[in-house]
Amino acid sequence: MSRARIAVQPASLAAGLASALHRAGLPVTPQRAGRFAASLVLAPPVRRERLYWQARITLLSDVEQLSVFDAVFEAVFADGLDPADTRGDPGGPPPIHAPARRPDDERPPVDRPPAGGAPGLARSAEGDASGTDRDAVLGVAGIEERLGDTAFDRLSAEELAELRGLIRRIALATPPRRTRRTTPTTRSRERLDVRRTLRRAHRTGGDPVRRIHRQRRERPRRLVLLCDVSGSMEPYSRVFLTLLQGAVAGARAEAFVFSTRLTRLTTALAVRDVDEALVRAAAAAPDWSGGTRLAESLRRFVTDHGRAGLARGAVVVILSDGWATDDPDDVAFQMVRLRRLAHRIVWVNPRKAAAGFAPTVGGMAAALPYCDAFVSGHSYAALADLAAAVRHYRRR
Amino acid sequence: MKDAARAGAEPDVAERVPDVDTLVRALDGADYLSDIGLATALFMAVRLPQPLLLEGEAGVGKTEAAKALAQVLDTPLIRLQCYEGIDAAEALYEWNYTRQLLAIRLAEAQGDRLDQTALFSQEFLMERPLLAALRHPGPRPAVLLIDELDRADDDFEAFTFELLAEATVTIPELGTVAATHPPVVVLTSNRTRDLHDALKRRCLYHWIDFPSPEQTARIIRRRVPDSAEPLAMDAAAAVGRLRSLDLEKPPGIAEAIDWVAALTLLGTTRLDEASAGATLGSVLKGRDDLALARAAGLPWVVG
Repeated sequence: MSRARIAVQPASLAAGLASALHRAGLPVTPQRAGRFAASLVLAPPVRRERLYWQARITLLSDVEQLSVFDAVFEAVFADGLDPADTRGDPGGPPPIHAPARRPDDERPPVDRPPAGGAPGLARSAEGDASGTDRDAVLGVAGIEERLGDTAFDRLSAEELAELRGLIRRIALATPPRRTRRTTPTTRSRERLDVRRTLRRAHRTGGDPVRRIHRQRRERPRRLVLLCDVSGSMEPYSRVFLTLLQGAVAGARAEAFVFSTRLTRLTTALAVRDVDEALVRAAAAAPDWSGGTRLAESLRRFVTDHGRAGLARGAVVVILSDGWATDDPDDVAFQMVRLRRLAHRIVWVNPRKAAAGFAPTVGGMAAALPYCDAFVSGHSYAALADLAAAVRHYRRR
Repeated sequence: MKDAARAGAEPDVAERVPDVDTLVRALDGADYLSDIGLATALFMAVRLPQPLLLEGEAGVGKTEAAKALAQVLDTPLIRLQCYEGIDAAEALYEWNYTRQLLAIRLAEAQGDRLDQTALFSQEFLMERPLLAALRHPGPRPAVLLIDELDRADDDFEAFTFELLAEATVTIPELGTVAATHPPVVVLTSNRTRDLHDALKRRCLYHWIDFPSPEQTARIIRRRVPDSAEPLAMDAAAAVGRLRSLDLEKPPGIAEAIDWVAALTLLGTTRLDEASAGATLGSVLKGRDDLALARAAGLPWVVG
C-alpha cells in the first residue's frame, strides 16, 4: 500500500502530520512531533494501522482530541483504509467510545427561536476591562443601591456590564469536609501523633516532654456549577456565566453549561480576563440559546463526570428555569442519581422571583424534591441567597 | 533536551522488546491479551523511553497492563497508589524515627557514641515507592506504576513529575540519588480532574477502549480456564448488551470474569435465563442496576 512512502522520511512525515494537526487546533508541540519521528525510527511502521497508533500515542494528550485527530489523519493519508474501518476487528484498533461523544446527528429541539447574531456574549458595552474594574470598585455602593434588587432581565446592557464586575467578585465558599491528611495540634482530645512526638523528643534528649496530637485537616468541598444556556434562560445566562467565571477563578469550581448538550467550561473560563473567558466559553459551547434537554444533560454529567468522582461529596449548583423538552420522569431519575453522589444540590431558578410563581413546569417540579435549596438568583441581591445556600453547613 | 539525554533504552531491554509484535506475544505469554494500540503504547514507553499516561474506564485493565509489562521485562512492579492528601513522606522516603531513637537509647545504655552519619544512614531510611523505583539495582529498570494520579493533589502531581523527568532525588542527609536504571513509568488516571498540561506534555498518551466481545471472550477464557467456550462468548455478548444500558456502574472485564467464574462453578456451559438470573449479582453491583437489567428483560440480556 503506502509502505514505501511511509518508510522514506520520518522527520518530514512527522513534521507534516504535526503541523496539519496543529492547524486543526490540536496542541501538538514540536517535542511531541520529535517523539513521533523517534518512534518511526525505532519501529518503522509496515502498515497504515501501525502508523496510526504510533501517531496517536505520541501526538495526542487527551481522548477528547481523538475525533479531530482521526479526521486529520484520514485527510493526510487519504489513500488506503480508514482507521475507523478496522474498529471492532479484534486485531485492529478497538472501537472508540470517547466519553465526550456527543449525539451530533440528533436535531436539537428549540424552545425559542435563536435571537440572531452572536450568542449573547459579544464584548458588550464594557470596553476596556481594567477601566471598568476600577469604576466598579469606586462605584460599589452606587451600583448596589441602584441596581441591586432589579432583576437581571430588566437591566440595560450598560447596567449589566457594570454589575458583572461585582458579580465576578461574589465568593462562593463551600462547607468543609475532613480529609485524610492531618495537621499537628496540642489539643489532647485528638489522636496522639507518635512519629511527630518522637521526632520532637530528639530535642529533649529522647524524652517525649511535649506530646503532639494529630487532627484531621479540613478542605472546602468541591463546587460544581451547571448552567442552563438555552433560549429561555438567555436574559440571565450572560450574568450567570460571569458568576461561573468568578467561581472557577476564585473557588476552583468546575463549570458546565448545557442546552441540548453538556459542555465542560472549566478550562475555557480559567483565565483572568473576563471578556476573553466569555468569548472562549461561547466558542466552546456551540449549542448556545438552543432548546433544553435537562434530563439528557444531567445524565451526561453524572455518567461522564459525576460518577468518576467529580460530583462525589460536592456541592452542585444547577442554574436553570426547568423548562425542558424531556420527560419529567427522566429528569427525576437523573436527579436521584445525582442526589446519591452530591453532598448538596442547590437549584437556582430566576423565575422563582416572579409574582405568582409556582414550580409547576414539568422538569422543575420533578427536580425540586431532590434539591436541598431552591433560590431565585434573579438579581444581584438575590445572589447573596445563593452564596448562603452554597455555604450552608450540615453535619451528616 | 532532557528527552535527548535519555534517548534509547538499555541494550538488555531492547533485546527483550525488539518490536511491537514480539511485545504482543510476550504480553500474551504473561496472560495479558493486548491489542496493537496498547502494545504500541507500551513499546514506545519502554523503548523511547517515555512515561505513558493510560486512561480509560474503570475495569478495562490499565493496572493489569503495567503488571504484565513488568512480567515481560522480568523486573519488579513498583506501585504507588495515589489518594487525596498523599505527600512526599508517603511516596518518596521517610526516616524511621522510632528505630533512630531506639538506637540512641541503646548506644547510651552501652556507653557508646553514636554520630549523626550513623543515625542518618541507609539503615534508618524507609524507602517508599518512588525512591524504590529510582534505586532499583537492575539489571533492568523497574516498572513504576503510578495509579490514579488524578486523585492526588495537583502539587503532588507536579512534584512527582519533576522527580521522574530528572530521575534523581536529593535527600539532604544522604546526598543525591541518581537512578542507574531509570524506571519505565506508567501513569493511570480516571479523569476525575484534568491533569496538568506540563505532565501531559511529557507523556505518551493512550486511551484504552473496552474490548470487542470476541476479545472479551478470549480474555475470560484465559482467566477462567475451566469455562466452556460458548459460555464465555455468551457472557461477553451479554456484558456488551448490559453496557448499553444506562447503568450506574457498567460492568467491566473484571465483572465479566467474575460472572463466568460463578457460572462455571455452578456447572453451566451455556448462558440461559435461569443461570443468568441467579448470578446477575456478580456482574451488576447495585440495586438500581439490577432493577434496570431485569426491566430490560432476562431474555434480552441472555440474547
